[in-house]
Amino acid sequence: MITENSVSSLNVTQKKRRKSNIIESRFIFLIPSLIFFAVFAFIPLIVVAIISFFSWNLLGPMKFVGVENFINMFEDANFWGTLMVTFKFESMVVPMTFVISLILALLLYKEGKFNSVFRAFFYWPYMAPAVVTATIWAWLFSTNTGLINSILMSFGLSPVSWLQGSFTALLVISLAQVWEGAGFMMMIFITGLEQIPLEFEEAASIDGANKFQVFRYITWPLLRGTSIIVLILSIAYSWNNFTLMYVMTTGGPGYATTITSLYIYQQAFIEFRIGYAAAISVITVLISIGIAMVAMKTGRWEV
Amino acid sequence: MLYRKKFQSFLFKVITILMAVIFMIPIFYAISSSFKTNSEIYSYPPTILPKVFSVQGYQYIFQSLNFVRVLYNTLFVSIIATVITVIISIMAGYAIAKGNFKGKKLISNLMIMMVFVSIGVTLVPVFIIVKEMNLLNNLWGIIIPTVFTPTGTFIAIQYMKGIPDEFIESAKIDGATEWQIFSRIIFPLSFPLAAVLTIFSFTWRWGDFVLPLIVISSSNLYTMQLGLATTQGQYLISWNAIMAYSLLSIAAPLILFLIFQKLFMRGITAGGLKF
Repeated sequence: MITENSVSSLNVTQKKRRKSNIIESRFIFLIPSLIFFAVFAFIPLIVVAIISFFSWNLLGPMKFVGVENFINMFEDANFWGTLMVTFKFESMVVPMTFVISLILALLLYKEGKFNSVFRAFFYWPYMAPAVVTATIWAWLFSTNTGLINSILMSFGLSPVSWLQGSFTALLVISLAQVWEGAGFMMMIFITGLEQIPLEFEEAASIDGANKFQVFRYITWPLLRGTSIIVLILSIAYSWNNFTLMYVMTTGGPGYATTITSLYIYQQAFIEFRIGYAAAISVITVLISIGIAMVAMKTGRWEV
Repeated sequence: MLYRKKFQSFLFKVITILMAVIFMIPIFYAISSSFKTNSEIYSYPPTILPKVFSVQGYQYIFQSLNFVRVLYNTLFVSIIATVITVIISIMAGYAIAKGNFKGKKLISNLMIMMVFVSIGVTLVPVFIIVKEMNLLNNLWGIIIPTVFTPTGTFIAIQYMKGIPDEFIESAKIDGATEWQIFSRIIFPLSFPLAAVLTIFSFTWRWGDFVLPLIVISSSNLYTMQLGLATTQGQYLISWNAIMAYSLLSIAAPLILFLIFQKLFMRGITAGGLKF
């Protein structure tokens, strides 16, 4: 008995060891991805941290300056202004994207020909490159030749200089961002809705719940995880991407539509203050990682 | 009761159509503007539909802007980057979802965290690394830095988790090597995933702007986005031509989407975007 047991347990451990060897060899499949990740995503983060302690104009020699860049940054009103612009931009884009994409998903999540055709319609803007979105929206809202002003005028209203006003410019850019992103977020909501068993809804309607009640008490709570993902991704995708601002307003009027990442670009590649740009990058990355950590915790968004 | 239900579903359809119309206004106005004549495009107040149908804008694009060369550059970059992304993402997804090695959790979490660290903030170091690799003003310089994508990796991991372990186990019992398991079982099962990754990656690379902006300097190597953005500022180019350029620049990803639409939707619902 005893020997039999020990033999079989030996077999089991051998098997286990062999299995774990095979599984560990799957690490090989990760290597190509890991190299690109390391060289173009991870190492840049370390490099940017190093450069932030230097003064450099890209051509001349690098000069170590300690924390001077960071001190300059804290005293730079424009930097704080751009953080504020980023915050304002996000607080317009994120709620609008969320509500619109949720409404679209609720309208279109059930199977059917009508629904699948219209899903594609709302998804299309996501495939438009940001430069194109920016170009078309700038044209749509241009003061003298834009469709929006011509509609306003046909109602007897006076035309608005949309992209020349501080608030209206940021508003138009936000709308363009929502237009571009809502279809993608709608897709995420649809996959979330598809995971909710239909029986729940049916049972509730048999009990006399109306559509709104079904949504409020069944769909909405079960959609919590998906909602968090949509919030996280709308922040992640919009907040470091300055293409819309670069093309539509080049950050103006003044700094009214300069988000922090555009400011980094301007400091690095127009003013050639590489070290200073790196210092701002460090702060921005730290904020990003902070958001990411919170997001991954609350969304149980791990692999 | 039934009557009310029918009315409700009719109402929802009307709302859907209304929202679709609003969503399509920018595209509609771009199409309409692209077919206006050079003089009508600047008429005040603007017309909604072109009075005279004209292809002046499109002619200008093809005759004056080196468009064929720019189109070639963009296709080259998008296709090569997409092929690499699809292959390495599928491999990485398999390794992380079905593998078990030290540091797996740390590596995969770090990779996915990069969704928050876009090129906008790592612009300076990426520029320096591309410069050190001697890839400035070179199309490879805007391909290589983009092929790792956090979203693509994440989607691949989620998809691979959905493939039952039994498939792999039974192949192993039949004596298949790791490479055979990947190439004969995992890869063929990954076509819907590959469709999703292809469409996403192609769309992203086709639309890339910031990286080309800092890496590419000679107009011979411009991509469409770079071309579109710079022509707006530099030349006395008419807006019907700019709109034509914009629309031509949406065409490629749209055609790809229409070809792969069915597989794409299947891939998305089969776990691609399940978070």
